[in-house]
Amino acid sequence: MTEMVKVESLKKAYDKNEVLTGIDGVVNSGQVIVVIGPSGGGKSTFLRCLNLLETPTSGKVFFEGTELTNLGEKQLDDIREKMGMVFQSFNLFSNMNVLDNLTLAPKRVKGQSEADAQKKALELLAQVGLADKKDAYPDSLSGGQQQRVAIARALAMDPDVMLFDEPTSALDPEMVGEVLKVMQDLAAGGMTMIVVTHEMGFAREVADEVWFMDGGNIAEKGTPEDIFDHPKNDRTKDFLSRVLAQ
Amino acid sequence: MKMNKKKANLVFAAIVMLLGMILSFTPQTVHAADDSLQRVKDKGTLVMGTSPDYPPYEFITKVDGKNKVVGMDVQVAQKIADDLGVKLKVKQMDFDSLLVALETHKVDMVLSAMTPTEERKQSVDFSEPYYNAGQAIIVRKQDKSLYKDKNSFVNKQVGVQTGSLQQDLAKKQMKKSNLKALTKVTDLILSLETNKIDGIVAEDAVARAYVSNDSRLAMIDAKFDLGGDETSTAIAFSKNSGTLVAAANKSIAQIKAKNLTKGYIDNAGQYMSENTQNTSMLHYWSYFAKGIGYTLLITLIAVFFGVLLGAIFALGRLSKKKIFHYPSVWYIEFVRGTPLMIQVMFVYFGIGLLWNNIPAFFAGVVAVALNSAAYVAEIIRGGIDSVPNGQIEAARSLGMSKTDAMRTIVLPQAVKIIWPSLGNEFISLIKESSIVSIIGVTDLIYQLRAVQAATYRGVAPIAVAMVIYFILTFTLSRILNRAERKMQHD
Ligand SMILES: Nc1ncnc2c1ncn2[C@@H]1O[C@H](COP(=O)(O)OP(=O)(O)O)[C@@H](O)[C@H]1O
Ligand SMILES: [Mg+2]
Repeated sequence: MTEMVKVESLKKAYDKNEVLTGIDGVVNSGQVIVVIGPSGGGKSTFLRCLNLLETPTSGKVFFEGTELTNLGEKQLDDIREKMGMVFQSFNLFSNMNVLDNLTLAPKRVKGQSEADAQKKALELLAQVGLADKKDAYPDSLSGGQQQRVAIARALAMDPDVMLFDEPTSALDPEMVGEVLKVMQDLAAGGMTMIVVTHEMGFAREVADEVWFMDGGNIAEKGTPEDIFDHPKNDRTKDFLSRVLAQ
Repeated sequence: MKMNKKKANLVFAAIVMLLGMILSFTPQTVHAADDSLQRVKDKGTLVMGTSPDYPPYEFITKVDGKNKVVGMDVQVAQKIADDLGVKLKVKQMDFDSLLVALETHKVDMVLSAMTPTEERKQSVDFSEPYYNAGQAIIVRKQDKSLYKDKNSFVNKQVGVQTGSLQQDLAKKQMKKSNLKALTKVTDLILSLETNKIDGIVAEDAVARAYVSNDSRLAMIDAKFDLGGDETSTAIAFSKNSGTLVAAANKSIAQIKAKNLTKGYIDNAGQYMSENTQNTSMLHYWSYFAKGIGYTLLITLIAVFFGVLLGAIFALGRLSKKKIFHYPSVWYIEFVRGTPLMIQVMFVYFGIGLLWNNIPAFFAGVVAVALNSAAYVAEIIRGGIDSVPNGQIEAARSLGMSKTDAMRTIVLPQAVKIIWPSLGNEFISLIKESSIVSIIGVTDLIYQLRAVQAATYRGVAPIAVAMVIYFILTFTLSRILNRAERKMQHD
């Protein structure tokens, strides 16, 4: 098992507000990590520090052996290419149709030909069950469809790891399933994934490891059984009792 | 961050103050010895500044199909130029701008029915008077019996030209009347005819010119208590132009000895009656056409450079680099915080200190474009800001560079948002560019004044200009709307 992502004493502060207080962790190739925790605990900030969308205040981030915090913009662009990211609010390019959303970056960043990029895009759309929507514009799609397109768009770059930041939180309940299904298939196919979510069922079923994050650090780590059935930390217990009570 | 911003703003304030100080010191250091006469001879031209809306002194008429400034003052100036053996060039501008044009050497002398008052003598030199005129009050014909002299206007509305001798006289000697000052005599006549005012204080030559051409008007003697020089008309020169003034005085002495002014006024009177023979607006279509041409040209050039510069300032303001960010912010705030009129005058007269022969049209376009750039910058910035941050983040998470994300994702989305506001800016520029008429650019407003002065008709030219402006803006807004709809469908 090779280390895909590793962080050491990762800290992030906005002015004086310490949002991440020192995070350590390793994600191995093929692993699915699910990050849970109360809102405001720093989960999004943590994910965004992994691909340097936010610059950490201190600490180190390794991706496939390369330390990222000292890299220049150009080198970071090359790294980000290999780290797909899916956002809570989908963020599809609203000035382009679905097909162009998928082919833009492969063409501009990887220099793929139009034909190659389209072929791959159509395969991915079929994989997420949206082959018939290739000409649609984002605002004509449902939330669930948009998020599946967003996943396909990230996959079009052939990433080595996928980062998900609450991908189902903005969806109507009846659409959550279709997105989780796509993610489940992805995990089954061996994709390395770091998923921030409140879907405890998904975490229990798909995660290799669950990280409980609160107050800017990882309070507890373990297998789904460890965390859900035998939580040790009081904050974990408290959080789970509130979430599962709903 | 906060500390830096405060500091940066202090620097900005200091720069503005410094700029003001530099500019206020420059004029005094321009001239050492008096070479005014020699310079005119070297150039071979004598440039006269005038505000041609004051018949019979100066006004515009059509000579051989071309618009030309004529009148007594032009003939006096022509005589001086002939005596010096140089060509006469007439530069038109607002009366209020004339003395500034002298100080900044845009013109060699000013003949605009100007009276050599003590206040004016503080800033310019005057020749001997070349004409003496009494003061009259123009009234509506049917009201003529109500008035005897200046004292008959207690609690009445009395019109005067802004900055004129008549304004001073009326202020001091008609204290019980309500004064209303306007820039143009034609506007005053219009106010009189529409009962907004009850009388206009004017020189008797002027009064006669209007009254003899309009059957609804009559005139009475104002009977002001006048000092010697106060009733006279003289030529203004910039300070320290003794040699040029002396040369002018020689010509004036001849004019007086031979009583040439009488012939000049008769001559002007002929043009005036020609002007009033055909006062149909159709007859003056070429005036308006020229005005439309200039208004559209100014607007188009200003929009083009306004958008170009505006985009640069917008990106500057959005930049995280301080050397781009702060200058852009200052520029935008400063331009939006000062009136366009002052900016136009600043470019024409202020920059004119460094560049003497800056053409009025060029100065006008530059000022309007620089002004528009600030507003366009804010429109563009607003458009870019309104594209959700998530769009850039998504692009960057796919490995696209900042510039690439900006070009392929943000700008195309911003343009759709910006387009309607940009169209509005374009339309409002057609209207606002009219301010350049104050420095003598012959745009639509300027031509409207010219037609008013030529025809002695107040309302008709205004109505024509208004309809033209409306047709221009309405057509443009339809075109822009269509383009906008097309874009939304793409
Ligand atoms: N760009 C930012 N500037 C300042 N504070 C921020 C910023 N982004 C997040 N924060 C703060 O960081 C804390 C953690 O936020 P976040 O990482 O979004 O938490 P979570 O995703 O777990 O809900 C919050 O208190 C939030 O207010
Ligand atoms: Mg979050």
